[in-house]
Amino acid sequence: MSASHSYGPRPWTFYALAALFTLFVIFLYGPMIAVLVLSFQGPSGSLVFPLRDPSLMWFDELFNPRRTGDVMGALGRSLPLAVLVMILTVLISVTAGFAFRRRFRGATIIFYTAIASLIIPGLVLSIGTLVTFKYLGLRAAWYTSALGAHLSWSLPFGLLIMFAILGRLSPSYEEAAYDLGASKWQTVKNVVVPIVFPGMIAVALFGFTLSYDEFPRSWLTVGTKNTLPLEIWTMTTNVTSPALYALGTVTTVVSFIVIAIALGSIVIIQRKRSRGK
Amino acid sequence: MNNTATMKAAAAGAPAQESGEIRLVGITKQFGNSYAVRDINLTIPHGSYCCLLGPSGCGKTTILRMIAGHETPTSGEVWIGDQMVVGKPPVERGTAMMFQSYALFPHLSILDNVAFYLKMRGVGKEERRSRAEDMLRRVQLDHFKDRMPAQLSGGQQQRVALARSLITNPKVLLLDEPLSALDEFLRLRMRGELKSLQNELGITFVHVTHTQPEAIALADMVVVMDTGRIDQADTANMIFDKPETPYVARFMGGQNVLTGTVEKGAAGRLRLKTAAGTVIEAASGSAPEGSPLSISVRRDRIDLARKETLPAGAVNALAGRVVATEYQGSYVKVTIDIGSDLFVANVSDSAYFKDPADVGDHVVASWQAETVHLLRKVDSGETGASYLEGGH
Repeated sequence: MSASHSYGPRPWTFYALAALFTLFVIFLYGPMIAVLVLSFQGPSGSLVFPLRDPSLMWFDELFNPRRTGDVMGALGRSLPLAVLVMILTVLISVTAGFAFRRRFRGATIIFYTAIASLIIPGLVLSIGTLVTFKYLGLRAAWYTSALGAHLSWSLPFGLLIMFAILGRLSPSYEEAAYDLGASKWQTVKNVVVPIVFPGMIAVALFGFTLSYDEFPRSWLTVGTKNTLPLEIWTMTTNVTSPALYALGTVTTVVSFIVIAIALGSIVIIQRKRSRGK
Repeated sequence: MNNTATMKAAAAGAPAQESGEIRLVGITKQFGNSYAVRDINLTIPHGSYCCLLGPSGCGKTTILRMIAGHETPTSGEVWIGDQMVVGKPPVERGTAMMFQSYALFPHLSILDNVAFYLKMRGVGKEERRSRAEDMLRRVQLDHFKDRMPAQLSGGQQQRVALARSLITNPKVLLLDEPLSALDEFLRLRMRGELKSLQNELGITFVHVTHTQPEAIALADMVVVMDTGRIDQADTANMIFDKPETPYVARFMGGQNVLTGTVEKGAAGRLRLKTAAGTVIEAASGSAPEGSPLSISVRRDRIDLARKETLPAGAVNALAGRVVATEYQGSYVKVTIDIGSDLFVANVSDSAYFKDPADVGDHVVASWQAETVHLLRKVDSGETGASYLEGGH
């Protein structure tokens, strides 16, 4: 770490880039920290700084709503939806990843068709889904139309991650398993899945967070009852209290917990592999 | 390393050893429109150490993979013992393969890697652990049984891969460039271990390599390959000393190849003259007058003298200018520009240092008629030309 010793004084570009990075960090975490701090605003405080008489009253307001919206109800829809999207994304991406591993006819076309939904604007997809459901006489709800819309967003990511992971999986592992008398199914169960498991956790993480935070693809597809991002949006227009900040803090904490669980399990698996049991 | 004697005992647990003779009959493998190998016929005797030798892309690995069952020939038959094995999985063939990068399962401990075959066959946990431990003890790695593959050195990983292959009790062990991932020191040591292991197990080893010294050091039978076909299959000594084609002579190194036209020679002598005017006489052999012929002369059978020009009427001698000298310890490799080509003489260190020829010096290289070896094919100058400098 003694770069300055071996290469002489740091060039001015180092300081320019360091300043740029500092700005980046401020923009990334500044708003989050501001919301976090203001969510502890006291009864005499307002929507802006300074923080007066810190309290937990807005968290209480959030979980025992008098004036705010149906936050717990929205969370009760957003969480199961995100879990459902996560499970389906992992299942479909992993199996599709294996299918694409052995080249089949039309693989390229199917791949680009799947990836194309990444560039369709979310709001357009939302409108299209609603219109189609209306035309077919189906009712939009979080577990039908919103689930489909979210999958159209999470699957391409899941697929791309699996491609990257399976691309690095040497075929010689499967051949070695075959050489040692393993059946196809034994090879998948005992060799392939354990090796790509960290990648599957990454896919799960993406599936969960993409759905949990999704706004545009939820907008018209959730039906009459909102998911959490939509509820927050509604609140910004008609709730003018720091309860909004408390909500922001709670949802961010949920996201962080999910990410920590995912990354933690990847670290544990890799540590186990490099150090032995 | 004295682990091989005990490893034999492990493999000898099998009932009477079945034959591990490998017969390839008219094997062709096509990938799309290109041929990886074409019409290969080869018999590898039971219990021999066979090296498939050739540059990358010559098809040697494809042959190994077809014997292993990881590739299906487009046409032709693969026989192991008295079984036609095309379409059969490796375990039924009695083969085991050691992969180039060893392909140890990264998520399993060393013990579980070795026990993998037994686990797949439904052997109970206690039994498979104790059998795998026995096998690990035999490669002297039992104290590492709970480690993960990533924690072992290359040489240790290779021994684990060997143990994992041998626990299947194979008739034939297939090794895909097993030494290429090791550093020079370890490579020589593992080379010795492989050889003595094969001696003591008595099963057939087929070893793919692109390194000539490795093949010569190990093999009872060397199969030299050139783009999809076999050029020569013979003992290491024959391959090195009596190559059949210019390609083999050049690829193995250690030979100079000269091409000329057959002329009328003295009784019992074959005489030819190269385009550059060098006259060569061979002590034996015959060829019709006027036909083109290629010969080889071993680099270490060349005498060098510091002389400006060739004496008139000289036979089995040519003049040139030294362009490089390389000290190799027991000998010195002297490269001579003879105008049309490069000619190499490996001169023993004692002879060389009596009168060291330096770069730029003019020398005359000469050899005995008895050392001239006739090649079966005329040098086209094309195949194998890029391997001119291979070997020593």
